[in-house]
Amino acid sequence: MTKLTIVTGGLREPSSTRLLADRLDEAVRAELAEQGVPATSTIIELRPLGRAIMDAMLTGFAGADLEAAFEAVGSADGLIAVTPAFNASYSGLFKSFFDVVPEEILSDMPVMIAATGGTERHSLVLEHAMRPMFSYLHAVVSPTGVYAATDDFGAQHTASGLSERIGRASADFARLLRSCGPRQRRDVFAEELTAMESLLQKATRDDDPGSVED
Amino acid sequence: MRGEMAAMQFGIFTVGDVTPDPTTGRAPTEAKRIHSSVAIAKKAEEVGLDVFATGEHHNPPFVPSSPTTLLGFIAAQTTRLILSTSTTLITTNDPVKIAEDFSVLQHLSGGRVDLMLGRGNTGPVYPWFGQDIRMAVPLTVEHYGLLRRLWREKVVDWSGEFRGALQGFTLAPQPLDGVPPFVWHGSIRTPEIAELAAFYGDGFFANHIFWPPSHTKRMVDIYRRRFEHHKHGAADQAIVGLGGQVFMRPNSQDAVTEFRPYFDNAPVYGHGPSLEEFTAQTPLTVGSPQEVIDRTLGFRDYVGDYQRQLFLVDHAGLPLKTVLEQLDLLGEEVVPVLRKEFQVGRPEHVPDAPTHESLVRAAEQAGESA
Repeated sequence: MTKLTIVTGGLREPSSTRLLADRLDEAVRAELAEQGVPATSTIIELRPLGRAIMDAMLTGFAGADLEAAFEAVGSADGLIAVTPAFNASYSGLFKSFFDVVPEEILSDMPVMIAATGGTERHSLVLEHAMRPMFSYLHAVVSPTGVYAATDDFGAQHTASGLSERIGRASADFARLLRSCGPRQRRDVFAEELTAMESLLQKATRDDDPGSVED
Repeated sequence: MRGEMAAMQFGIFTVGDVTPDPTTGRAPTEAKRIHSSVAIAKKAEEVGLDVFATGEHHNPPFVPSSPTTLLGFIAAQTTRLILSTSTTLITTNDPVKIAEDFSVLQHLSGGRVDLMLGRGNTGPVYPWFGQDIRMAVPLTVEHYGLLRRLWREKVVDWSGEFRGALQGFTLAPQPLDGVPPFVWHGSIRTPEIAELAAFYGDGFFANHIFWPPSHTKRMVDIYRRRFEHHKHGAADQAIVGLGGQVFMRPNSQDAVTEFRPYFDNAPVYGHGPSLEEFTAQTPLTVGSPQEVIDRTLGFRDYVGDYQRQLFLVDHAGLPLKTVLEQLDLLGEEVVPVLRKEFQVGRPEHVPDAPTHESLVRAAEQAGESA
């Protein structure tokens, strides 16, 4: 069973960001199902976590609800991340969430990026803001993202090509998920412990007068 | 009183911050803050606490840049109190100077000294002392390895990566009674420190202020498991200390009302979660002495029987008078009950809190059996 987690940073209700997130979620699962891969998904809305995210930034630790969101992200085999475009970038809330997630939680994580905005002119937010951030977090970012503008959700939305873009991006992401397989989660805690143990063993060996090179 | 064994030690630890009192806007002078620390330490002894530990910081708004000077001054005005640190920076201090300073303090105080080592997480401080924070972990390992040898070997030949070599170095003065001060390793978040403490069979002190109990439990579990792995004893015989943070008034609601402006404006967590959220999520307890007793006794449920409990009571601009009142409540109402209650159900094989006297006895016994 492939486990998908969707993080969506929409602020209003109904939210076009959430709408896009839902369509991507369905499309990716349909694509996987066609290939005989069953998948489940969990949606994380950032708005209800707004205060918790800021508290975590200020105190350095997460409350229970935010911790549960981290767990949903960390235990996933793939992540779909959707943000509204604000001032030529992701929203501050969206960025803040990824600023407080535990270290290496996204390492080797297949990630599909998507964004919404008022006009098509912001579409490079995918390539100039989202992709570099997820690359920095050691995620494996799917080559095709989806950007949806107000027009895409308007009356002629069937004509806008959004459905085809969703289909193409979902097919790419499903292929990436399949080739990555079940995700091995990194345990930074255990890694630090092991590194420290070998450092201490080496140091005490060096201190042994029998092995000192003069 | 000196030399009396206690299963658990209770005391206070201070950061030494100069913070304006948010209710008056006034900050104490550095001189006043330093003398307040002395008054607080003396009061701790007077009300029957066991330990006073000072932080070490090398930048404003903090004053304790020279902990053994402060502790030496306090040692001269106390007779029973154990003087400690929270923490001594093993990265930026020269291990030779740490060994010398604490040896002298041991002799002056008659063995009433131990220390808690920490790495320090303020990047800019490292280069002021010729070091680099990016090397903090290997630096800690090398410096502490040297410090142990300086305290245990008469003549030390040593070379390493981060400090000039030593040829035929002999520590003067030698540790009191030939026994180095007990070492705790203080940690807020990294498992590396738990491993360091476990590797050498030293004490492990969990900060227990900034993080939820689940985090402290995880760290202490690792330390205990690794302590046993490194063959220093059973997991429940590892030496554990905890921090904690309290504000008390006889009437619980008075404590909340009075502490709220200090909490809301505290440099470390102010302007974030509410006082109520923070007390629910972390070990901070604001209320009556009975509430502090109940909460503190609960710590044992997730770390096991432990040896040292230190409280933070003097930060965020709290006036000296208020801090001294907190110490009265701790000494008169809280700690006597904690001493008695923590004793209940504590297994025989769980060690008492280490003191100079217990270390001397252990060294004698080791000498006899060797």
